Amino acid sequence: MKTFKIFENDTHQWIVIGRDPDKPNLIIDTNQYIVITKDNCLLMDPGGIELFSAMLATVIKLIPVEQITHLFASHQDPDIISSLGLWDQALNNATLHSPWLWEGFIRHFGMENIKFNGIPDEGNCLKLDGASLTFFPAHYLHSSGNFNVYDPEAKILMSGDIGAAIEAADAPMFVDNFEEHTRKMEMFHRRWMPSNKAKNDWVARARQLDIDMMCPQHGRIFKGDDVKRFLDWFEELEVGILEQKSEE
Amino acid sequence: MEDNYNYFVAAAVIAAKLNEATKVAKNLSLTASNARAVALRAGEGAAGFKPLTEFIDRLAHVTIISSREINTLAANLSKMAANKFRADSAISRFNIVYKKAAQSEHIHSLDESYTRTKLHQSELSNGYSKQLLKLISELEQLKDELRTAVILATLSRVEASQAGDSFQEQLNNVAENVEVSAGQIKEYLTSSLQLVGILEQEST
Repeated sequence: MKTFKIFENDTHQWIVIGRDPDKPNLIIDTNQYIVITKDNCLLMDPGGIELFSAMLATVIKLIPVEQITHLFASHQDPDIISSLGLWDQALNNATLHSPWLWEGFIRHFGMENIKFNGIPDEGNCLKLDGASLTFFPAHYLHSSGNFNVYDPEAKILMSGDIGAAIEAADAPMFVDNFEEHTRKMEMFHRRWMPSNKAKNDWVARARQLDIDMMCPQHGRIFKGDDVKRFLDWFEELEVGILEQKSEE
Repeated sequence: MEDNYNYFVAAAVIAAKLNEATKVAKNLSLTASNARAVALRAGEGAAGFKPLTEFIDRLAHVTIISSREINTLAANLSKMAANKFRADSAISRFNIVYKKAAQSEHIHSLDESYTRTKLHQSELSNGYSKQLLKLISELEQLKDELRTAVILATLSRVEASQAGDSFQEQLNNVAENVEVSAGQIKEYLTSSLQLVGILEQEST
């Protein structure tokens, strides 16, 4: 798997892991993000069972295994957290932060050693050594219990499925032509996002954040002005399309 | 087809087979109750049949208790096998990581997780082997018990032939039921013992 450092200061760094050349063809490509601080590491949306060994092999090149003390699952989907049963064997002192709503479901992946911290609907904060991260509510985008991770210092919003695009596994890591990129996002957002109301509420709240980089779990990272372009595009987009068609 | 089962599927299939065996044994118990009633009505003509019904009832009782025990053992084995599969899966993935990240300065930080999972895997393996031996022993004991069913069916036929015409057919039906039920339970046990082979391969 490839790693790209997207932020670094004296307290922490953000790394994106993805574009796995050995990924089986029929599974969707995913981006995994990690925040490394002095003594801890937060692994965000660590991925499915199929990715586990590639992910662990990549992370262990960066930090020792015992430094992985926190996991975050934005929601309950298999591409997000079905590897949990294996991380549970690998980690002896870790906490999984995930929407409270999904605890009983996520535990089906197998969790005996890892502790569960249910994030309340309104979100909360996680302090990792010198870094402070916010679990930012993104309910119904697309899952009914769903969070993003915002880092005010790095000005990074890990946006989960918001901003996701379906494209080739060897695609560049950053959006380079926003207009062209919307074609790869449109179907995904129209079909997977069920609620215009939830979407517009999220857009209004996201506009209040200072964001340099918006990092989705599939596709490419938005930088600089492309973040605002995305928020404008998303606000205009009608989602939940199949439902609307059936109502006609 | 059953030879192709994964080991934890095989354990679940054994549990299901023994559940079926319990149902047949319950019917056998009903047969014993009916036989007692018929023998009472037949009076002196079926005097020899009454003690046989007690044996049939005992056989049904032993089969029900034993099937339940085997069912529980097999269900536990299935659960242990699934946990072992998860530990096996983690170990094989750790081995991939050892190869892929061999040059990493942190590679030995995985050793503790590897050792812990290996220990867990070994505990599950030992527990699995013990439960498996117990399962085999229970299956074989029950199979032995069922040998008496053939004798019971034969004796029931002999006693039926001595009863009056009006009860002969009913008592012959009892003998037939004992034979058929025992045959069905034996079939479940035999195929369960065949599946045990798959479980044994996993414990070695």
